Amino acid sequence: MQKFPQFLFPFIALSTALSGQAAKAPTTDPATAAPKTIELAETGHCAEALPALSGITRKQADKDLKRRAGLDGVRCAMGLGRFDDALEFLRTLNREFPTDPDVLYLSIHTFSDLATRASEELARSAPSSYQARELNAEAYESQGKWDQAGQEYQKALAKNPDAPGLHFRIGRLLLSKPNPPADVVEQARKEFQAELKIDPNNAGAEYVLGELARQDQNWDQAVEHFSRASKLDPAFGDAFLGLGEALISSRKFPEAIPPLQTAVKLEPANPGAHYNLATAYSRSGRKTEADKEFAIHRQMTQKEPAQTPAQQENPPANPN
Amino acid sequence: MKIPILNPQALLQSRRRFLASILGAAAAGAIPRWARALPQSPYPFEEVLATTSGITWKHVAGKSAEKYLPETTGAGCAFLDYDNDGWMDLYLVNSGACDFFTPTPPLRNALYHNNRDGTFTDVTEKAGVGAGGFGQGVAVGDYNGDCFPDLYVTQYGKSILYRNNGDGTFTDVTGKAGVAAPGWASSAVWFDYDNDGRLDLFVCRFVDFDKAKSKDCHAGEDAKRGYCIPHLYRPMASWLFHNNGDGTFTDVSKSSGIGNYLGKAWGVVATDINNDGRMDLFVANDTVANFLFANRGNGRFEEIGTQAGVAYSAEGRPRSGMGLDSADVNQDGWMDLFVANIDHEMYSLYQNNHDETFDDQALATGIGAATRLMSGWGLKFFDYDNDGNLDLLLANGNPDDLIEELSHHQVGYREPLLLFHNSGKAWTNVSAQSGPIFSKPFSARGLAIGDFNNDGAVDVLISVNDDTPFFLRNNIGAQNHWLGITLVGKKANPDAIGARVTYQAGDLKRSRMKVGGGSYLSYHDPRIVLGIGKRPKLDWLEVKWPQPSGRVERFTDLPVDRYITIVEGQGKWK
Repeated sequence: MQKFPQFLFPFIALSTALSGQAAKAPTTDPATAAPKTIELAETGHCAEALPALSGITRKQADKDLKRRAGLDGVRCAMGLGRFDDALEFLRTLNREFPTDPDVLYLSIHTFSDLATRASEELARSAPSSYQARELNAEAYESQGKWDQAGQEYQKALAKNPDAPGLHFRIGRLLLSKPNPPADVVEQARKEFQAELKIDPNNAGAEYVLGELARQDQNWDQAVEHFSRASKLDPAFGDAFLGLGEALISSRKFPEAIPPLQTAVKLEPANPGAHYNLATAYSRSGRKTEADKEFAIHRQMTQKEPAQTPAQQENPPANPN
Repeated sequence: MKIPILNPQALLQSRRRFLASILGAAAAGAIPRWARALPQSPYPFEEVLATTSGITWKHVAGKSAEKYLPETTGAGCAFLDYDNDGWMDLYLVNSGACDFFTPTPPLRNALYHNNRDGTFTDVTEKAGVGAGGFGQGVAVGDYNGDCFPDLYVTQYGKSILYRNNGDGTFTDVTGKAGVAAPGWASSAVWFDYDNDGRLDLFVCRFVDFDKAKSKDCHAGEDAKRGYCIPHLYRPMASWLFHNNGDGTFTDVSKSSGIGNYLGKAWGVVATDINNDGRMDLFVANDTVANFLFANRGNGRFEEIGTQAGVAYSAEGRPRSGMGLDSADVNQDGWMDLFVANIDHEMYSLYQNNHDETFDDQALATGIGAATRLMSGWGLKFFDYDNDGNLDLLLANGNPDDLIEELSHHQVGYREPLLLFHNSGKAWTNVSAQSGPIFSKPFSARGLAIGDFNNDGAVDVLISVNDDTPFFLRNNIGAQNHWLGITLVGKKANPDAIGARVTYQAGDLKRSRMKVGGGSYLSYHDPRIVLGIGKRPKLDWLEVKWPQPSGRVERFTDLPVDRYITIVEGQGKWK
């Protein structure tokens, strides 16, 4: 099991070492209170400092002190196991300093640490639950251990055959595996269909079935699935784009225009949405609108490098 | 067990990306009935070894630690009958001296004379066509109408026009002709864009590159130095030269409209996409949109690639277009297009909709799935089994010699050839059944088709980056009947580029256009072989000569299983 990322809390060890020693209480002089509280926290006296840190973070006018108090507050609260307090400090920091690298870095590690703790708790309290199996499966999947992931998903399914999301994940796993068997698409299709029987509102499953139909050149089926996906999730830009592309492929150019217009609204930075909308306009005889969309697409593609292997001019600076 | 930190957003964000990975899943298929019926030995294609052919010349890429990009892109090859003896000779292009490379001893291109017995003799020195610069490709055409094919050799630096003297020698006339095309030239094509009966010259130009502009690119976890992706370099305009008919050419790149478009051109084919009798140009660009230059007459071209649907992928992304070709593959009377791209982009088979738009049929035909991880260069439509349908052969190989590390061996640096058989109704990947050569990986680049032994079965010459070229001898074409024709234009351009040949043999009616160029850096046997399957004879053959002739000539009482020559206006064949 992964240990807590101790390097984030170098002062916690110190705090533990000093736990038997008496610490000075924070001063009440407003001019010196904040720096002294911060010093207290940074020398490991978290329990004493934490209540005052909260006040400084909320009320302190000096931005630098406010930021330092917030960062120390997160570290102290996590070290003391007061996770609600840690999250409150983080909320304040992210509101006040949304682009600060220290704040973002600490946020990532705090959430990461909380996720680790929750997964440990799941493993301790309900090790045989389908949720634990599913989490294991996801872990294997993210490590590229496809077969182990598949086995864990099957175990989760055995525990709870009606659990929503499991068939979807199994289907996606099948399609992601390298060197799949020849009938992998059919196997995956069955999983997505099974998912929809359990959860008819799963827009993702409808979308993937649409893509599979599109790759089979089965335009009518692709249109049906993409239409349902876009109705289930009206913010699902890719579903509208898929619907438009399928309609274009079946040469229904005027019908492709409305979903593609929606795709452009939902994903204005997606060059593919503009390109397909332009194509639909162009082949419907709407030349002016086509030219406008083609121009937007051209601008976007000129800015965006082509999809090519990860190769960069000049290496990053050697960290050593 | 390590439980990683979950990232639901990451799980969701790649819905499209992971779907792209499934395209190759259905590639495995059963052996088609026709392929099972093939004789087990010999295979349809057989490698002719250098020890047999006498072709000992080798391409030297000049690979360096600095990884200059031209090292990985060459080179081309050609079939041509330079001495008009009726037997196809070979031309092979090599790297050579330039600002980043000083080979010792010097390198040269090679002209091999066909000894008519399956062997070849190197006649480069006598012919005077060794070049010596950093060569890329070759285009063959009779620009001066003396019935002897001339050579245009493209190079990084400046290109060369070799005029054929008709006595086995050539003269470098680049300076007088005015076609040096300085910069990095790649493929070139001879065609008559203004229908004046003379062959003009289009020269693809790749990026703005020289030693000083070469970039320092690194890839992978250990930041190894590698070949740069072309999007890091500035695009350049290609060249169009008008043939003045007196041995000189005029640069009409700007006035024609072609010079207004900056691309990164690798491949070009001259074809007529709208049946208006004017030759158009399809140009494959790398990392930027492909061009489709529609010839509007009066010396003007309009770039319509985007509107036509051939500039980008279906998702609107520019791809890495390299080799290409054009043919009427579905026999509807309209020229279709093909372009090969780099790995993870799939190649495209663009079916002509008869209205200056095209639909990509790569997925529908299975060609998309089969090429998803491939990188394609030389390619050509031709009827290798003479059943009357145009098949497709592709030469592949990734340009990046670090690709196997970067892609964790999912994509190979050296890749096998691909052969697709066209039954007239469906395309089938028959590579695995077509000979052991199709299981060997190569860094293939150029591909030229030609019948080197005059048996009517069209053979193939493949050039390999930093290695020896090789032949594929066609063992299957002669099992069917065929007629080979040489077209000689008189009022039309001498090579009859743009001619349309229609023929009928019993229930088989087919039509072919003689396109200009196609493939990658390479040129082909100028003869057209018309396959008729097991049918014993051709009923008739019709030639529609290109403008300014426009004449239509019909021939009957034709022989089979031999080559004939048809000279425009003579009303007979010989």
